[in-house]
Amino acid sequence: MKVAIYNQLVRAGATRREVLRGAASVAALAATSGMGLGALTRSAAAQADLRAQILQIPGVGKGSPTDADWQKVGELCLAGTKSNVQQGEFAGVELTFMGLNNQNLHNFLFRGFLKPWEAYTGAKINWIDLAQADYNARLQQSIATGTVDFDVIEMGAPFEGDVCGKGLASEMPDWVKQLIDMDDYVTYLKEPVGTWDGKTYRISIDGDCHTFAYRKDYYENAEFAAAWKDGGGEGEWAPPKTWAQVQAHSKFLKGKKDPLTGLDAHGFLDPLKGWGGFGFYFLEDRAAPYAKHPDDKAWLFDADTMKPRVNNPAFVKAIQDVMDIMDTQPADQINADPGTTAFQQFLAGTGGMLTWWGDVGSMARTSDTSVVGDVVGFSILPGADEVYNSKTGAWDKTFNEAPNMAYIGWGVYVMSRVDSDEKRKKAAWSAAAHLGGKDLSLWMAAYPSGFQPYRNSHFDYAEWEQAGYDRAYIEDYLGSNADSYNHPNAAIEPRIPGIFQYYSVAEDELAKIYAGQYKSVQEGADAIAAAWEKITDQIGRDNQVKLYKASLGM
Amino acid sequence: MSAIEEREVIGAQSRTAFVAGRVFIYAALFLWAFVCLFPLYWTVTTSFKTAPNVMQGHIVPWLQFSPDWRGWRSLGLSPDTIFQTSTVREEFLKRFFNSVIASVGASALAIVIGSLAAYGLTRFRYRFFWFRNEDISFFFLSQLILPPVVLALPFLVLYKEFGLLDTRIGLILLYTLMVLPIVIWIMRDQFNSIPVELEEAALVDGLSVWGAFFRIVLPIALPGMVAAFILALVLCWNEYFFAALLTSTDAKTLPVMLASQTGSQGINWWAMAALATAAITPLAVIGIVLERYLIKGMTAGAVK
Amino acid sequence: MSEQAQAAAPPSGLGASFDFIPERRRRSGRLLVAAASLGLAGAIVFQFLHATGRIPYGFSNWQPLIYVYIAWGVALGAGQVLMRGEDGHRALFVLPAVLFTLALVVFPTLFGFYIAMSDWNLSSLTGQKFNGLDNFWQALADPFYRNALANMVLYVLAVLVEYVVAFALALLLNAQIRARKFFRVVFLLPLMLSPVAVSWMVGKSLMENRYGPIASFARWLGWDNPAFFTSPWIAKLSIMAMDAWTFIPFMMIMLLAGLQAMPRDVVEAAKVDGATPWQGFWQVTFPLMLPVSVTAIVLRIIFKLKLADIIITVTLGGPGGATDSVSSFIYREYRDRSNVGYGTMLAMIYLVLIVVFVTLLLKLAKRFVRSVT
Repeated sequence: MKVAIYNQLVRAGATRREVLRGAASVAALAATSGMGLGALTRSAAAQADLRAQILQIPGVGKGSPTDADWQKVGELCLAGTKSNVQQGEFAGVELTFMGLNNQNLHNFLFRGFLKPWEAYTGAKINWIDLAQADYNARLQQSIATGTVDFDVIEMGAPFEGDVCGKGLASEMPDWVKQLIDMDDYVTYLKEPVGTWDGKTYRISIDGDCHTFAYRKDYYENAEFAAAWKDGGGEGEWAPPKTWAQVQAHSKFLKGKKDPLTGLDAHGFLDPLKGWGGFGFYFLEDRAAPYAKHPDDKAWLFDADTMKPRVNNPAFVKAIQDVMDIMDTQPADQINADPGTTAFQQFLAGTGGMLTWWGDVGSMARTSDTSVVGDVVGFSILPGADEVYNSKTGAWDKTFNEAPNMAYIGWGVYVMSRVDSDEKRKKAAWSAAAHLGGKDLSLWMAAYPSGFQPYRNSHFDYAEWEQAGYDRAYIEDYLGSNADSYNHPNAAIEPRIPGIFQYYSVAEDELAKIYAGQYKSVQEGADAIAAAWEKITDQIGRDNQVKLYKASLGM
Repeated sequence: MSAIEEREVIGAQSRTAFVAGRVFIYAALFLWAFVCLFPLYWTVTTSFKTAPNVMQGHIVPWLQFSPDWRGWRSLGLSPDTIFQTSTVREEFLKRFFNSVIASVGASALAIVIGSLAAYGLTRFRYRFFWFRNEDISFFFLSQLILPPVVLALPFLVLYKEFGLLDTRIGLILLYTLMVLPIVIWIMRDQFNSIPVELEEAALVDGLSVWGAFFRIVLPIALPGMVAAFILALVLCWNEYFFAALLTSTDAKTLPVMLASQTGSQGINWWAMAALATAAITPLAVIGIVLERYLIKGMTAGAVK
Repeated sequence: MSEQAQAAAPPSGLGASFDFIPERRRRSGRLLVAAASLGLAGAIVFQFLHATGRIPYGFSNWQPLIYVYIAWGVALGAGQVLMRGEDGHRALFVLPAVLFTLALVVFPTLFGFYIAMSDWNLSSLTGQKFNGLDNFWQALADPFYRNALANMVLYVLAVLVEYVVAFALALLLNAQIRARKFFRVVFLLPLMLSPVAVSWMVGKSLMENRYGPIASFARWLGWDNPAFFTSPWIAKLSIMAMDAWTFIPFMMIMLLAGLQAMPRDVVEAAKVDGATPWQGFWQVTFPLMLPVSVTAIVLRIIFKLKLADIIITVTLGGPGGATDSVSSFIYREYRDRSNVGYGTMLAMIYLVLIVVFVTLLLKLAKRFVRSVT
């Protein structure tokens, strides 16, 4: 108990004796509530203090955090580790951690966070840094040739099928579950995500979903509004709620001038080039409200047969939508991948609307890549006025929203090769739990880290405001994330083995469709479906059906 | 017209032709120098830019943008961070030295065994089963043909079994294999262009085959060896694919770090530019140092 | 490699040797090689038995076998000298390279062919399944593969243009110029920039269509809305230009080394004969440079055939496959889709095509060289 609180209570009239009795009972309560770990017996006030304190390192608007800041945060958040690990307990243990080096974040961030952990526990960590483009291939090839040379891995949920499905991951011990407070995860990150056959494997350190970003200045522009009305545009000149509106606005904006930069205005930015599989998510953004029926959990495949739905009317309509506004895109758009649309176009002031992961919001404000920080607004992905029902084969004329939970975020997993040695196993899980700690995660959500908010406790706007963020902006940006995460009809990524193979081959065919090499969109979509069937057969259809159902919680 | 006048006219003509030729030569030289240097200039200056400057294509420092140490700071190599601890800089330096060891080691090894093989192939006639000299040369060349990506699994298995994963020796062996064909083919041409009579004379003087090779042939073939060494070095230095596959913590090299500057959060132009600048500097220095050996005839004239 | 295989025909380049080798020495040489080979074979069998779990002792991995192999190589070399005297000395020149290459490529090549004959998707729980030539038939019908092969023909043809530029630059550098050192180093620099950096700094920054300096320059020249990667042909040319920029120095330095090695008296003689520089070039320099040129072009073509990095980063084969190369397609199939069986088969087919093509090229070049000189 903090001296300050004690004094306050005493001043409030309580006798010293009552105060002590009260403190004891709080502790007893905590001990019986199943969370009797040192970290959590600290009073709530102390924790709030800590959270406020780390949010001031280095402080919003004080420039990018450095190695020293990461270490300081890691040091302050070490209470969880100290609660169940003796000082020097892991002396002599060497662990290997494989993760990404994305722009000198990710693994470099972890290095800083884990340095105090290493100093305290006596363990040593060796690092394998991979470029994002190499990550998938390296992981798959390591598994296939039996050269798994790492103990802890930073991995995205889509690969759970490949790793957990093959029994390569270590099951999470109960003490870790309590330490990281898994109940705090947003809805869609709870089971079945992170579990496989009922066993839990994943410590989430990131949440992912696509949201919709638009230029507020476009929609507050009186000229545009007048022209929209004069041109007979349907409805108000306001941020779009459906993809049909996105289409109409994009066509309308063609030939206009951007109010901010004075260059040509553009509407929605479609990334027309693949991105190692990641590009397919952006077609999904458009297709999900047409394809994800609220009564049906499946939307990419038929759950019983793994028959692809990518050539059904919903997806064909989405592809057709892309084709329809291709002439409104900036020049050379056919060579623009999602990285280009987000960082070189939207943040640099080209284009009016964009779908992207949540972090484009924090970047619009904090990154010096951005010129649109003051004029950008957010919402969940647009919906549709009709949704295709795969069961009946007809369109249901109801408004439908289906935010795309693209990639489901990064997690930390421990490999089963540590299981044979209790000390190593504890050390590996302790390190992983440190990175997935509740307080540490708040800092990662607030500062450039490559990770996004993923806990309900991250959406406490007051906390952000105290840290120095602008309340309205934070509500807008975080709100769009929270709405998507907790949406009842969210389109969840299938965590089946080889999911990126499906995406990758789809990108190849989409490139041909966009370049006009197929006679019709349907023909191109059929080609994707055929390629998907081939992959399913190759990987094993029965198994894929089973895992697809499992991943959807069916 | 007198003979003298005629000569003068021709002289004047050839002088204008000469001047025109000079002008043309230097114009071409400067044009190509610009083509070579501009992208490099762009890279070097980008390491001092912030994002909006990159986006808007600013070219001239101080005039169009004010230089910023950002790129170098992100590597821990800017004036204000150079004396602080920085995990990124430690990582960079470790990779840098691994790159140096792997590429110099492999290039040197390839030059030694490659030159020997090339000399043998040009001077003697071999027969291994049905393989003759030309087939042997082609055998070496054919090692270069397969796209490296499909060798991923075989080499992963091979290196695992031989304990070569994540070792610099492993990288050196692989890189040697990669540049050996280039060395052999370049050196074959070099040795072919040296008249056999030189060595015959040496043999008559009582030198052994190896003696003639080291004393007579090698000095003449030096420009070719330097050219081959530079090429081998550059290819090894920038090799990315196998470095990403076969190394993890101990033997990792620089190109993987360069590629890491892109990803799902866009690209760190400044950091990538700084890394690219840092990576090209040692090669440029080596180019400057070795350049003089590219010029022939240090000893060739003396022998004749 | 057997002993008999080493037997060299009478050497041609340098006068034949007629060493007399006493029978005893010959025998001891044979003994040495035999003993070393036995040792190597024994070590392999021993380790194999251990690795398959049939005998309890052995090394934890195959690494010690490397040293055994090196020792065997040394013994083989010594044996050659003992047995065959001068001829043995000559064999020593080529032996290290051959042994080195064989050691590193035998396993990967055989394993590669084995993979190529199987249905192996790394995500499949059942692992590798032998499927004979199925991959081969599938490859023949694959429109992406055929498209990529067609693109490669164009990419390879671009080498000729690069060769002309590289030759011109080599001649310039070989001429009597000032600041030669400066130009030599500068002309080499593009090769030194890593392909990743080239793709980003040139492909995605300099050629960016709104602000990139090259785009600005194109606008200044009157191209209204410069887009370097939108129309299939311009995209191809852009990729070719970027690749050429990187690799012209590669050919240039080889040609320069060739020019430097050219006997100076021959060139001087041509000048004295009153030939114009143009005639001198075609009658003397060019023919003398042909062997080097063939090497430069062949090596460059082989590098060109592996073109992938720039395409993967800059266009990913787009628009609609117009810039796809075989290597970049295989890259997607093998790495992005983990379809290693099929990907390897694609590469093996490619390998055969290239070997046939390069063999023909060398044959043609040889005839051409002979007819010109």
